[in-house]
Amino acid sequence: MSVGPTGRLAVPHGTLVHSRVVESVAVAFREALDRSLTGYAVLTPQAALLLEEAAGVFTFEGGVPVLAYDVASDAGGTDALTAFPAGGPCRAELYELPADALDAVHETDELRVPPGAPADHLTGDTALADRCRERAPADRRDAEESDPLAAFLADEDRIAAIQEEAQAEAARRAEEWGLDDHLDADDSGTEATDRR
Amino acid sequence: MVEAFAVASGKGGTGKTTSTLALGMALAEEHDVTVVDADTGMANLLFHAGLAEVDVTLHDVLAGDAPTDAAAYERFGMRVVPCGTSLAGFRDADPERLRSVVADLARDTDVLLLDSPAALGSKSAILPVVLADRVVVVLNPTVPSLSDALKVQEYARSYGTDTAGVLFNRVRDDGAIDRVAEQAERYFDGPTLGTVPESDAVQSGRQAGEPLLAHAPDSPAARAYREAAATLEVRSGAAEDVAARFRSAVVPDPP
Repeated sequence: MSVGPTGRLAVPHGTLVHSRVVESVAVAFREALDRSLTGYAVLTPQAALLLEEAAGVFTFEGGVPVLAYDVASDAGGTDALTAFPAGGPCRAELYELPADALDAVHETDELRVPPGAPADHLTGDTALADRCRERAPADRRDAEESDPLAAFLADEDRIAAIQEEAQAEAARRAEEWGLDDHLDADDSGTEATDRR
Repeated sequence: MVEAFAVASGKGGTGKTTSTLALGMALAEEHDVTVVDADTGMANLLFHAGLAEVDVTLHDVLAGDAPTDAAAYERFGMRVVPCGTSLAGFRDADPERLRSVVADLARDTDVLLLDSPAALGSKSAILPVVLADRVVVVLNPTVPSLSDALKVQEYARSYGTDTAGVLFNRVRDDGAIDRVAEQAERYFDGPTLGTVPESDAVQSGRQAGEPLLAHAPDSPAARAYREAAATLEVRSGAAEDVAARFRSAVVPDPP
């Protein structure tokens, strides 16, 4: 993906300034913060090898995240953070843009995220999230940030999706590893949540 | 009579080994406990338990060079089976033998804690979860860690391994964790065993080669682990059943 990403996030084409496979999305957000990136990042998780168009697009001002968009689900804002499969290595491409190039795009309220939210949701690195909040301009720093864990735990659909995906993956791998004889025959996998 | 627990988390850094030894020491006040470093590819329990210099580890047993007893050390009121860290040891280890090692150990203990690999992506990594009676899920109060914990539980469920409980570790925000744990509980099959605060004593304990409960027994983290262990209800099955299950398990391919 060279840019201007897709769907509801229409970002102008930027200049590619950094492109590599990193061990986690945290590395990409640190890189953006360290180089005070104004522009956007396209993060393609390793797990996306099996998924077409799986990528997260994040815009930045002075290294601080502003917008978040998950390409596969067309989710924006905090919803994009729960939809984006952030675990494991990913390819990180950082693009620079002139500061004013993002002004209009950044007015898309439904795609905006609090400054520390991507780090909180996607990396669990609270120090990184704090750095993002500290670096944010005062008007953004003062904004109420929703509790990322509470938001995640309240999102039953997202959690059901994680559970269903893990069930399918476990079954697929059990067959691959010859462990299918050990699978629980009673576990039909139809009730992903609240099976207590 | 024995129950085998896999202490598991989706990824590293949750404090799984610290938790395994802490739960082990706390449970050892009432039970005969054996702790096994089942993470044969990235072992680290030996550093936490002051066993870094021992001559014989699980790697030697898995290579056929030593009997199981030779790798079992009485430490901190428990029987501890550390694993070596050399690549050569890992290469020479025959995973097939792990089943019989654990079966041997199951004959002579009440509680078997398997410190499991922090991964789900290989057959040998998942085997402790497949073989255990129940899984203790260790997680941190972050979105990625919760997501991983949910995945671990699904893998365990797939193999008919129940969740004994969930342990929140490295908790920084004491005020919020109770609400988070309560919200999380409806997604897990077992109860929240405890919430353990982030503690500098964990790091200093590791540097000293001592489990937390030996190094800083009065620390808030140590107290939290003891409370968690008290919440964990051990259901002892027949030792022979556990031993037989391990012996009959499918053998993982060499890595």
